[in-house]
Amino acid sequence: MGGTELLQFVLAGLKNGSIYALVALGFTLIYAATGVINFAQGEFYMLGGMLSVWAYADLGLPLPLAGLVGVAATAAVGGVFELGAIRQRKDGDPLALIVITVGGSMVLSSMARHLFGPNERPLPLFSGGGSVSVFGAVLEVQTIWILGLTALAVVGLWYLYNRTGLGRAMRACAVNRDAARIVGIDTRLMVTVSFLLAAALGALAGLAVTPLTQTAFDVGPTVGIKGFAAAILGGLGNPIAAVVGGLVLGMLESVSIAFISSTYKDAIALIVLLAVLFMRPQGILGRSSREKV
Amino acid sequence: MGERTIDIRTVAVLALVGALVFAVPLLTADRYLLKVLTFVGINVIIITGMALLFGYAGQVSLGHAAFYGIGAYTSAYVVTSLGWPWLGGVALAVAVTSVGGLLLALPSLRLKGHYLAMATLGFGEIMRVVFVEARGITGGPDGFSGIPFASVGGLAIDSAGANYWLIWGVAAAMLALAANLVRSRAGRAMRALHGSELGALACGIDLTGLKVRVFVISAALAGLAGALYAHVVGFISPSTFSLHASVVLVAMAVLGGTRSLAGPVLAAALLTLIPFADAVIPGLSRSALETIQEWQEDIYGLTIIAVLLFVPGGVAGALRRLSRVGRRWG
Amino acid sequence: MSLLEVRSVSKQFGGLTAVDDVSFDVFEGAIKAVIGPNGAGKTTLFNILTAFDRPDEGRVSFDGTDIVGQPPQRIVRAGIARTFQNTQLFEEMSTHENVMAGAHAVTRAGFFGAALRLPWTVREEREVAEEARRLLRLVGLEEWADTPAADLPHGLRRLLEIARALATRPRLLLLDEPAAGLNTAETASLADALYRIRDRGTTILIVEHDMGLVMEVSDEIVVLDRGAKIAEGPPRLIQKDPAVIAAYLGEEDLDEL
Repeated sequence: MGGTELLQFVLAGLKNGSIYALVALGFTLIYAATGVINFAQGEFYMLGGMLSVWAYADLGLPLPLAGLVGVAATAAVGGVFELGAIRQRKDGDPLALIVITVGGSMVLSSMARHLFGPNERPLPLFSGGGSVSVFGAVLEVQTIWILGLTALAVVGLWYLYNRTGLGRAMRACAVNRDAARIVGIDTRLMVTVSFLLAAALGALAGLAVTPLTQTAFDVGPTVGIKGFAAAILGGLGNPIAAVVGGLVLGMLESVSIAFISSTYKDAIALIVLLAVLFMRPQGILGRSSREKV
Repeated sequence: MGERTIDIRTVAVLALVGALVFAVPLLTADRYLLKVLTFVGINVIIITGMALLFGYAGQVSLGHAAFYGIGAYTSAYVVTSLGWPWLGGVALAVAVTSVGGLLLALPSLRLKGHYLAMATLGFGEIMRVVFVEARGITGGPDGFSGIPFASVGGLAIDSAGANYWLIWGVAAAMLALAANLVRSRAGRAMRALHGSELGALACGIDLTGLKVRVFVISAALAGLAGALYAHVVGFISPSTFSLHASVVLVAMAVLGGTRSLAGPVLAAALLTLIPFADAVIPGLSRSALETIQEWQEDIYGLTIIAVLLFVPGGVAGALRRLSRVGRRWG
Repeated sequence: MSLLEVRSVSKQFGGLTAVDDVSFDVFEGAIKAVIGPNGAGKTTLFNILTAFDRPDEGRVSFDGTDIVGQPPQRIVRAGIARTFQNTQLFEEMSTHENVMAGAHAVTRAGFFGAALRLPWTVREEREVAEEARRLLRLVGLEEWADTPAADLPHGLRRLLEIARALATRPRLLLLDEPAAGLNTAETASLADALYRIRDRGTTILIVEHDMGLVMEVSDEIVVLDRGAKIAEGPPRLIQKDPAVIAAYLGEEDLDEL
């Protein structure tokens, strides 16, 4: 295999990897705030694409505005899901909450089918179908959009976490919820905020990728599982680890297609997931404090 | 309550329900109805394991449809393609799923509760890919067809009624075994574990060992149900064994309620019948059925959420209230 | 004969020494107590002795065998049973079933035998049920046998936990602050139960904050202060020990001494 071909696989890995990273960030934000794995995270990705298509094609909004509407509306769905379901379980039993998100995932995808139909729906490329050449490898302009939006989201999240009072409150919650409550942080509000943010991040990923792949009501679980694998791979609960996990997973998939076969490409993420769970449950960047029964 | 002896009223109710279930093929010749009720019986076998896992051991699996599928493909392959006898295929299916369950449970159950949910989810998705891609064995996305009916010796179980009796016979046997189990030392340990992990440790209960055993049993029961299913319907394809199917099983277990077998069994029957409502409700219009089918995902999802938020006991809780009232008036 | 040997046990939490080089023996057939003011390291020591936690240094041996680092279920099988400061009962199970669950480690029926109701498992189950009734009588809870643990009056919950611990057929029973939250009458009936348990041949180690019960029932007392042992001996001597009095100065228990 030549260098150009290899570079092509690397670019493809980066593209998918940044999508996984955005979804993984969503898992991590919610896990940090609640200790719960949100199995509905993939549906936020689906809704981001779907609601943007709806705003663009059905409402006739211009594309940038439609994208904004799609992301904002998905964030609102995330918030409503937290307020209407997660928060209503008063004892906060993590196992029950996890199962509730599983049920929520089913309802969200089914609702999308009722509202937008069972078919795949397209969205135009953000700035035409051009591509640029990078050392001989083809880089589509839409991929640049994906990478750029991911970078923007990561920087924005970093700023929020490290430079704002809200971010500090969220970090305090992640470290110790009871202590955060004692010093006067509204921990319930932080949970809602993390659902809003997680939904927005997932939606951004769905929006950015839909022009390349189209979207449908049932695309959520597959991407959800990969984002989840990325979050576990990096180390659950740590935003930087989520981004690293996403990119590493994207590369792994890409490289395995190049060197092994594409038949089992969808299984790669899952095998990585199981391997990490069994051998290094704290993730590649996590500290080695093995949680015991 | 002390020795957990079953009172006479419970015995009478069980006998009546049992007689009714086994009389169905004598009372109706409706092949569609029998087939649908046979599906209910198959799901009862799976849910017996899920009830032990979720309701007694407090663990969630998002991958039990995969064990169901492994059981189905294993028996279908060795019986149809390799010419094994039916019983051999079923036995192998149970063995393979037991070992698979053990290999999955051992590493995940050493860790905290939600890791099992994640590991089973990953496992289920891997198996979904395998069912589609391992065409040489599974037939790929088009499925595996031409699976023969069950037969023992020269006796073929090839009518709708016979298959119904076979499935419900197995289901009743598995339920009886599970009922013995939950009223034994092991069942007590499971309920103890649910009540207080620290207390269970202080009683010398090996928590991990217990959870692993329960998981293996539930995987084996799913595998058994899968093997039986393959020979009842004659055709299997990957879509039956998807994540979606695993979630429906979780919905049944959640709706059924904890520390109960009767609750989950009723919940399984109820949720299995939803898409086949026309079989049990005579005169249900075509469009009404289509509406129900259109909304079945929402029904499953909302059932999970509503039960966990507002009806913590599920069906089992309702049954317990009913039996208290019954005792007061009886 | 020394049943439990504690030798130079230390445990630190982030630079804070919770248990500091503690050694003592518990002799077979005795009732021994570990006391100390709040924050003396009693609970940490207790968790180390029951293998729910492990020491940074030192050795704990039971009947000649090292128990540090063994899983709790192995400790229970070896013959050490414990109760909890915050009772850990199986709330939805009856009082009788709670005690039967305690017999888990000394019974054998497995999944297979139980599912098939093999005759020997049925017999074992009957024996466990009878044994549990005897233990409920021993602690005075026989009238509550069919009550769910959740409905048991607060003062009786500790007695149930003790009965459950006894069902493991321990040679050594470790009690974590058994008198906490009990009124005078309940404490008196607890003391009676402890004598009956000791007289059946079970050695008892109590970790306790409250001096009243300890002074009455113990044969020997170990006093901890800020993690270290400051005194050991029979109750009469401990009461007069100047180091013990100094340690308890400022504590509300001073007037009880």
